[in-house]
Amino acid sequence: MKRIKRRTVLTAVGASVGVGFARRARAVEEVKIGAVFPLSGNAAAIGQDARHALETMAEIINGRHNIPMLLGEGGGLSGLGGAKVKLLFADSQNNPQIARSAAERFITQDGVVAVIGSYTSATAVTISQICNRYQIPYISADNSSPSLNRQGLEWFFRPSPTDIDFTKAMFDFFAAIGEKTGEKVQSIAIIHENSVFGSDSAKLQARMAEAAGIKVLANISYQANIPSLSVEAERLRAADADVVMPSSYTSDAILLMRAMHDAGYKPRAIMAQDAGFIDPAFIAAVGPLAEGLLSRSAFAIDAVKQRPAIPAVNALFRNSGANKDLNDLTARELTALQVLGDALNRAKSTNNMALRAALRATDIPGNQTIMPWAGVKFDETGQNIKGNPVILQYQKGQWRAVFPFEIATAAADWHIKR
Amino acid sequence: MSPALILQVAIGGILMGLLYAVVAAGLTLIFGLMNVVNFAHGALLMAAMYATWLIHRSTGLDPLLQLPLVAALLFGTGVAIYRVLIARTLQIRVNGAMVQIFTTFGLSIFLVGLAQLVFGSDFQSINASFLGGRTLAFGAVVLPLPLVASGVVSLLVFLALFRLSRTEFGRALEATREDFEAVALIGVDRDRIFGIGWGIGAAAVGIAGVLLANFYYISPDVGTNFALIAYVAVALGGFGSILGALIAGLVIGLTEALTALVVDPSLKQIGIFLIYLAVLMFRPRGLFGKL
Repeated sequence: MKRIKRRTVLTAVGASVGVGFARRARAVEEVKIGAVFPLSGNAAAIGQDARHALETMAEIINGRHNIPMLLGEGGGLSGLGGAKVKLLFADSQNNPQIARSAAERFITQDGVVAVIGSYTSATAVTISQICNRYQIPYISADNSSPSLNRQGLEWFFRPSPTDIDFTKAMFDFFAAIGEKTGEKVQSIAIIHENSVFGSDSAKLQARMAEAAGIKVLANISYQANIPSLSVEAERLRAADADVVMPSSYTSDAILLMRAMHDAGYKPRAIMAQDAGFIDPAFIAAVGPLAEGLLSRSAFAIDAVKQRPAIPAVNALFRNSGANKDLNDLTARELTALQVLGDALNRAKSTNNMALRAALRATDIPGNQTIMPWAGVKFDETGQNIKGNPVILQYQKGQWRAVFPFEIATAAADWHIKR
Repeated sequence: MSPALILQVAIGGILMGLLYAVVAAGLTLIFGLMNVVNFAHGALLMAAMYATWLIHRSTGLDPLLQLPLVAALLFGTGVAIYRVLIARTLQIRVNGAMVQIFTTFGLSIFLVGLAQLVFGSDFQSINASFLGGRTLAFGAVVLPLPLVASGVVSLLVFLALFRLSRTEFGRALEATREDFEAVALIGVDRDRIFGIGWGIGAAAVGIAGVLLANFYYISPDVGTNFALIAYVAVALGGFGSILGALIAGLVIGLTEALTALVVDPSLKQIGIFLIYLAVLMFRPRGLFGKL
């Protein structure tokens, strides 16, 4: 055995101390996080709101606050010596190719530690794949297509429920309310836009309807941002199902609602797959037509008793320039940054491997967030397994949580009897 | 599928087609006059819709009563665009067509960006109008009143455009189109004719914008949905032909509606493009084109 010289040992110790010292001296003051959202184009309204939501959470982390939730005290990222979160925004124009190059630029030129996005699932596909190639976490804030976490990606994390969870909640609601009121759903009509979001959603709805013994009387797909949806509305009227189940973005949600009204058709119940139907611009545009509308959601703004952080966070969001209340999308975007901030704190490093390990070890109790979820804990595909959705109903000008009954803040208005 | 349903869908398609036709008329007018494709046409539609919304919000004036006002506003905008931008591009001797494309395309990007800056990216809409939300019933056929009104106004616009071509000015327009250097010799001011041509084209799209604002959402991006259809209508009807724009608009509206009834609605534009392809193959200059 060779004897290790004393000098070699000393040099090695000295070097390692030196390295350690150098690293501490260059302690991060700022952690860059890239956010890719549609800031212009047909989904710009959603993207601009997302920007306000993320900025609100960054302000909560960086500033000094006393909000009763995880990271609610502020003061920067404690695990990184109080480093501040710095958000960089890129406009995807709701175009998968542009989204992809924006994410790539963030990683290769700006040196972001993670990317957050992106509203539409079609853009999330390209972003998540490019992040995977560069081994940078992609935090899917508000993409709901179930296929996203089944791409076999190692760097994909989604705190929010998927359309499987959301759709299951709708059918759970149908069963429970049918039991309660005796008015059981016997048929549905599905209408959806034909990109990843709408098609996946419709497929799930058709499958779950079949499993529940509910007839699908129509399954209509359309291209988003089409000038008219009046024929589609006519076909829904002809189908005359117990519940109409639309999956649409804002512009089409407005058109569809008006087209059904113009056709003299008032569905007995509408159960929306969130998205456009939860956008305040939609409510503003269709006004009283939205009364009684049901939608799945990941967020319930009126669940203040169970989630005491909501009022303070909502006030900060309103003052961030958004001038509106948090909704399902903005609450999820905000929470995505909270989850990432928590992981950075525990990783105590901006190293990608350490960050991924920390994200995988995430375990946040629901009451430490503003969401009505049981918590945040990822499975091996990066999907949160504790994110249970809620069903909301628009009643007298307000969204109220009506299901699950334990957290409901109002009774569902449910009359589908013929 | 009941006959009433088919009838209802067909009438709805024709009414929508009339609106497409008015948008296309403005485009084809400008093209026919000076061989410039106006890529800012969708942005002008958007501008007219925002103008209607803004006037409605500040004065409460019903969109229908705003028709002359917004049409005049857009006429002025069209003349200004010609004077400030297009007239200059006409003086370029090398690659002039390219410059014109980039100019109108750039103008479009500018206008859409400006709208987003000024009005934000939220979807706006006019909720309390005289026509909004009302329907007209003929037996089993129920038609939204705003769409019926827009169909009637669209027909009037075409009537006016056809009459215009028989006036002195219409003949000057026609002559300038044929040979603007020759008309300059007999004392016709080219810039004046072209400017008015742009004004009328923009006014047509302005009227379409007011009609649309009655029942459609308003966003910085709204023009794109209609611009594509307008380009197809112009190509289908024949570049420069007003009658062609009318017929093509009707064909597109009707085809779109009926296709959506028989196949999956996500494929409803296939019918339009099939007809378009057939026309390109057998009559490349369009139905009424003179090229």
